Amino acid sequence: MTAFVELDHPGPSATDGEIAAINLESARRGAWARFAQDPSLPGVAEAIVDDERLALQFLGDLDALDRLDVLALQFARADGSSRAVLVRAEVASTAHRFDDARGYLARAAQMGAPREAIERQVLAIDQACGVKLDAVLAARREVATASGRLEDLVPLGSLLADLERFAEADTVYRRALSSYDDVSPFPLAWVCFQLGMLWGELVPEPDPNLAAIWYRRAVGYLPGYVKARVHLAEIYASQGRMGDAEALLLPALSSSDPEVNWRFADVLTAQGRFEQAERQLDTARSGFEQLLERHLLAFADHAAEFYAGSGNDHRRALELARTNVDNRPTRRAVEQADAIAMIADAA
Amino acid sequence: MSDHVDGPRSIGDPAADLSDLFAFTSPESPARTVLAACVFPSAGEDAIFSNIINYSIAVRRVTVASVGNSAKFQPADDEIRFSFRFDVLKRDAAGKAIQRGVCTLPEGGELPLTVNDEKGASTPEGDIRVFAGLRSDPFYLAWDAGELKRLPNLLQHTNVLCIVVEFDTRRVLDPTKGSLFGAIAETVPPQQRSLIAPAIPRIDWIGRPEQTNIRLYNPALVGIDDLRDLWNQQTPFAIPKQLQPLFLQRLKDSLANWDMRDGKADWTPDALAANASVFLDDFLLFDVAKPINDESHLEIEKSTISGLPYQTGGGRTVDANSIDILLTWLVNRDREFLQGGATGATKPGIKVFPYFATPNTELQTVAESVELAATPDDVWSLIGQFGGAWHPLTARVNLTGAGIGQLRTVLTLDGQKIVERLEAVDDAKRVLRYSIVAGVGVSHYTGTLEVKLKGSGCVVDWRAQFLATDKTDRAVKVMVSTWFKTGLESLKPRFGAAA
Repeated sequence: MTAFVELDHPGPSATDGEIAAINLESARRGAWARFAQDPSLPGVAEAIVDDERLALQFLGDLDALDRLDVLALQFARADGSSRAVLVRAEVASTAHRFDDARGYLARAAQMGAPREAIERQVLAIDQACGVKLDAVLAARREVATASGRLEDLVPLGSLLADLERFAEADTVYRRALSSYDDVSPFPLAWVCFQLGMLWGELVPEPDPNLAAIWYRRAVGYLPGYVKARVHLAEIYASQGRMGDAEALLLPALSSSDPEVNWRFADVLTAQGRFEQAERQLDTARSGFEQLLERHLLAFADHAAEFYAGSGNDHRRALELARTNVDNRPTRRAVEQADAIAMIADAA
Repeated sequence: MSDHVDGPRSIGDPAADLSDLFAFTSPESPARTVLAACVFPSAGEDAIFSNIINYSIAVRRVTVASVGNSAKFQPADDEIRFSFRFDVLKRDAAGKAIQRGVCTLPEGGELPLTVNDEKGASTPEGDIRVFAGLRSDPFYLAWDAGELKRLPNLLQHTNVLCIVVEFDTRRVLDPTKGSLFGAIAETVPPQQRSLIAPAIPRIDWIGRPEQTNIRLYNPALVGIDDLRDLWNQQTPFAIPKQLQPLFLQRLKDSLANWDMRDGKADWTPDALAANASVFLDDFLLFDVAKPINDESHLEIEKSTISGLPYQTGGGRTVDANSIDILLTWLVNRDREFLQGGATGATKPGIKVFPYFATPNTELQTVAESVELAATPDDVWSLIGQFGGAWHPLTARVNLTGAGIGQLRTVLTLDGQKIVERLEAVDDAKRVLRYSIVAGVGVSHYTGTLEVKLKGSGCVVDWRAQFLATDKTDRAVKVMVSTWFKTGLESLKPRFGAAA
């Protein structure tokens, strides 16, 4: 019988999250220094992509997208091989420029890039765009079954959740958590966050208490996990626990993610601290606009949600939601656009 | 790289990834032996040990069981083990993060230590001294291992986390019972972590350098399974009998490929099989009764396979050119020394405890470029001349010497004198690399000028890395950047800017 991590089980132990974050920054900067020494050094540009994506995903370091653009450009100038084209595809995909990414992958294929590297990226793009999902599911299952590794199980769980097969997604996520035998806290925090999303936002009848447990675990593994803090703070705020929500968000304000300012503004508003809230909303608004200027497709959905809510600009919200649907017509993207259209009509 | 990033699992947490192991006689005292291991390849300025990994160096007495083509080194069952554990970060009174740890000694005692404290920690008797902290990476790899092509040091200016143990040889190893030893290092995670699979016994381990990235995973062997994770899971000194044929065959295939990299067969099949068999027993051999120096690495194995009594203590010093010693042995069996593209690490070892050089600070980087409406060759014919005075802020350029190593003295319009050395030039690829010898407040300066085809024109990239010495980083970056931009902009009127 398979024993999965249950709620009363603490889960696998991992390197302390503060240490891991410092070491990620160390590895990231070290890789950039080596790239500057010689951009073509084996594996270095690819390592930078990995490190920057971790900084983006977990630490709310949104400047990572700008750095990745610089990397892609400099690497393409320095290296005429398919490596540089694969990196460009990865960078474009990270910024949700999926059409660009597909173009680069086609070029990489013509240049003889390894088939597995191309297929891995195509799979991720198809999943992100919600296309060919039956084929993606079959491929994800095959990969996850073969490796049994967390990094292959989590995308499968995410896809199952997109397909509304929630119980199965939960099982796969908990299997991922249970099977982990490494010591980095990043993958563990990632699974816990996904479980929080599943139970807090994706299932038809959300269970905020269960979601909060998983978000707390994500933050426990990685105190600097900005998105997990934001989502947990939202639950606390919805339960009237404004002090707890504020305590969660305060340390995350130093990140460059405007969603932190937005949620913090909501907490301040609920406490009647309107002037402070207005300042936070202004910061969030300008933060989103700056991001949209540089990386429209990467932030269209989050900014749409902001403008549909506290950002209070329904026309802008609808425009962004439609941009997002055009870029990746997933079920969630369409639902978001429909919901915002209804709000805009009603306003 | 020696054992750097040698498997998918070890990439998870770089602080668990072992890169190197050393065993040498203390430069401070011939009566003491030093064992050291490094983790976290290519670390930056602030790397920290994991708080849940057990970092160990273990030593076993070894006997020469057989020589020649049946060469065999037999380890004893008893083990002398030093294990390091580290805490989560604490803040000192000034709010600075500090990490403390403890070294568990072979007889069970514990020695508390503070990470990065260069003095280390000693037992009251002074027979054992330990250190843990960030240091300059002592390893240097200056080869493209796939094509056996020389490169600059791929690990230039990187750091690693080191654990160092120095001890009284007589008291800890008792050489009267035999002076030959084998050492390994390993990183062990907490046990019983995975709920649906057996706990992994270790994340990484290392004996001799390059067991994984050169011998078991020869980059020139196409279409082979990556055995590195499987190898890293095995118990040092005790590779299971059922897996030995798998690893041995891989070693034979790999060594046969290495032998033919220069097109000449220097190894007979029997000798090659003996070499593979010796490398299968992967521990770093050292003999405390014989001299260990920068050249003695692998001498014990080499002499024994050749049927001769070994003359040195083998081991591996901080400055040993281990990669070139190994490649020479594998490729031509010491017929001709294969010198890679670098002759030393970023910093040599130091003669006093903890023997590994201070960590490197982060290099400053400046990169500028310009796109021109001219062919790369046309542009290169102007700026690819090391002695050319094409830069508009240059008054005169004097050349001293010729070829690689030549010096150019640049007299600037404002009266400065800068001396630069040509480090490498490739006219076919239109790239040159130079360093600054004098005249600018920088050290470790490496400049690269390169012209590449772009569309119907070209792009000129000019980049540099350096440490500012006399002024602030920002001030020197502005100065270098201005120099680059001015030079590159001056090319537009000559060649036309790209549309």
